[in-house]
Amino acid sequence: MRIPELTLPASMASLLGRLPATPPCWALVTTLNQLKKRDILPADMSLLAGHSFEVHVQDAGLRLGFSADEKNFKVASVGDTPDLRLSANLADFARMMLREEDPDTLFFNRKLIIEGDTELGLIVKNLLDSVDWSSTPLQRFMAV
Amino acid sequence: MPATRPLPELVCPAGSLPALKAAVDNGADTVYLGLKNDTNARNFAGLNFDDRTAREGIRYAHQHERKVLLAINTYAQGGDISRWHRAIDEGADLGVDAIILADIGLMEYARRRYPELRLHMSVQSSATNYEAINLAQELFDIRRAVLPRVLTLDQVKQVIDHTRVEIEVFGFGSLCVMVEGRCLLSSYATGESPNSHGVCSPAKFVRWEHGSQALGARLNGILIDEYQQGEPAGYPTLCKGRFEVEGDTYYALEEPTSLNVMAMLPQIIDIGVAAIKVEGRQRSPAYVAQVTRTLREALDTAGREPQRFSVKPGWTQALSKLAEGQQQTLGAYNRPWK
Amino acid sequence: MNTLQLTLGPVLFYWSRDDILRFYSEAADWPLETIYLGEAVCSRRQQLRGQDWIALGKELAESGRQVVLSSLALIESESDLRRLRKLVENGELQLEANDLGAARLAQQQGRPFVAGHHLNIYNADTLALLQSLGARRWIPPVEMDRDTLAAVLQQVSNKGLDIETELFAWGRLPLALSARCFTARHYNLSKDDCQFRCLEHPDGLRLNTREQQAFLTINGIQTMSDGCHSLLPHLADIAAMGVRAVRISPQWQHTERVVAGYQQAIQALNSPLHTDIDLAPYADSRLVDGYWRGEAGIAAIGEAHHAHS
Repeated sequence: MRIPELTLPASMASLLGRLPATPPCWALVTTLNQLKKRDILPADMSLLAGHSFEVHVQDAGLRLGFSADEKNFKVASVGDTPDLRLSANLADFARMMLREEDPDTLFFNRKLIIEGDTELGLIVKNLLDSVDWSSTPLQRFMAV
Repeated sequence: MPATRPLPELVCPAGSLPALKAAVDNGADTVYLGLKNDTNARNFAGLNFDDRTAREGIRYAHQHERKVLLAINTYAQGGDISRWHRAIDEGADLGVDAIILADIGLMEYARRRYPELRLHMSVQSSATNYEAINLAQELFDIRRAVLPRVLTLDQVKQVIDHTRVEIEVFGFGSLCVMVEGRCLLSSYATGESPNSHGVCSPAKFVRWEHGSQALGARLNGILIDEYQQGEPAGYPTLCKGRFEVEGDTYYALEEPTSLNVMAMLPQIIDIGVAAIKVEGRQRSPAYVAQVTRTLREALDTAGREPQRFSVKPGWTQALSKLAEGQQQTLGAYNRPWK
Repeated sequence: MNTLQLTLGPVLFYWSRDDILRFYSEAADWPLETIYLGEAVCSRRQQLRGQDWIALGKELAESGRQVVLSSLALIESESDLRRLRKLVENGELQLEANDLGAARLAQQQGRPFVAGHHLNIYNADTLALLQSLGARRWIPPVEMDRDTLAAVLQQVSNKGLDIETELFAWGRLPLALSARCFTARHYNLSKDDCQFRCLEHPDGLRLNTREQQAFLTINGIQTMSDGCHSLLPHLADIAAMGVRAVRISPQWQHTERVVAGYQQAIQALNSPLHTDIDLAPYADSRLVDGYWRGEAGIAAIGEAHHAHS
């Protein structure tokens, strides 16, 4: 499966940007917590606890804010300066998650923007890299 | 040209279990990894292996008849070096196929405690000549040495011709322009270096400044580079920044390029290189998979028909996408360079 | 306790033959225990050849100084090895081994040697190993901090190891070596046709950040600090730790004043009188001592450098 090079139209971004961000944010946090609970996401929460995060899907105009404590991820309002903000277009986020594209490559090409605490960014990147999808039912979607 | 030279081993990096599996699945002969502490030179938060993932990784590799090397390639620091000794003990206990060591004091420990354990001399040992390698061979029976990325191909051959130790060279990855093990730029700026802390230009000291005109990259407050809108960015590794010397601002030490020896594979095979190493334990499983697959194919092709070998455009394309700075060079193997 | 001794490191820059000879004719009268001689940086620098260095060394040794020949730190080619063998086999002067290969050759000749800071000795086990090969003195890596050194020296004492310690105490810090030549690169020349432009920069070429912060020094294939490392404020502590000698790294001007300043400071250690010696006027860059204090090496004397926290 290859993800086509596409950007969501600006009209979509302006539409999505006006919708409340809470439902997608809630879905993201719930998924993260599920993956962690089932030991698929091998998160060392002590490295993440107390920090705020924002995933900014640029072409969708979506800003998903959340934070972490010693046990879980939770929906949170992160304000203008989260500890870590990852910004990219939807297709690039998808490529990164599906291991079609290396996050460093996206970063070198300025397609992935990392703002805030660089070490926290590295922790998150390494965390995503260490997910062993082959042990999950999602395996067939994740084949490189 | 003798057609009977064995193909060099393809040695690939793994910073995580999925990266290890990606390397094995895509044709690595050998995978190298490190533990989650400062005993290895890619001591980055969230990277590397604990006991459980190391065991699972070794099981997976051995099941596929591939080898696993454990890198313990920082220098044991100060009065309490038990952490490094424990890492060696752990490697022996895990049943890795060899341990890669930089510190000759640790080689002595490993040889004394585990007479059967295979030892490799790390690139961080800065062994650029056969006298240095033969010293480690005589004292500790090291079986392989990884050469720093500073020698020409002729110089590599000179080393191979004067030692019984197998020689491993770097084949692809970020280009370290300094002699490995002999670079303290990182600790000069931050207090932490590859030798002492297993890090270079560590992320906790990096600050990105998103200005209206440019993106600034600082390391412990020191401006390493600035990127204009649309200009490709680089991680602020000290030696790859732009600086000012006598009024000129340029990449005064090194441009952000990657090493890629594909074009030289027939010669590398011919001079008797035992193994080709891919850099990048800090990179993602996607990187490991793509580099391993491409180099496997190139290496097999070069082995089959060395006379007619040429680099296929598809290989170059696949690798250039992953390269830092998206430029590739033959590095020191092919001097002169500027 | 032994009195702290002063040594003069090898000239790390490329100076003309005349300048080198003039420098050492003066240095012969300075209060130095040991003089290190030779080309430690670049194999292309041949204003003095191996035989010249050996001859100069023997001459200086007659003045009562210990003289040690410093080996090239980056040995790549067969001709580098040939030159190294000639140095080792000179029959009289000891070698500072700046590469494991050099240590091996000295050991094979059964000759004691000095283990240079490039040998990356960070713990007492490694030091003991080099001592068993013939090292009689060692220079810790320049990045080693005070507490780490103290821990190593404690173990040296526990093990009863017979080896002297010498610290890099003054000068631009030698930080990195490369196969590439950055001076040639600056002039758009290839390394093999460098036109010996290093001769024009007797203290190296200053490298600034894009906001004009003086940062590093380019010295051919070597990268050095811009800051001038100075352990002058720490000499009492250093002497108390059992360090035998401190090294002054030669600079184009004022080396004599620096040596005199250190000599005065060492003498003051044994006297109740307080002396205030300021060597800043004799450095052409900021004085730094961050490494010794466990900080970034660039941290100036008295300054913390934890911008990240």
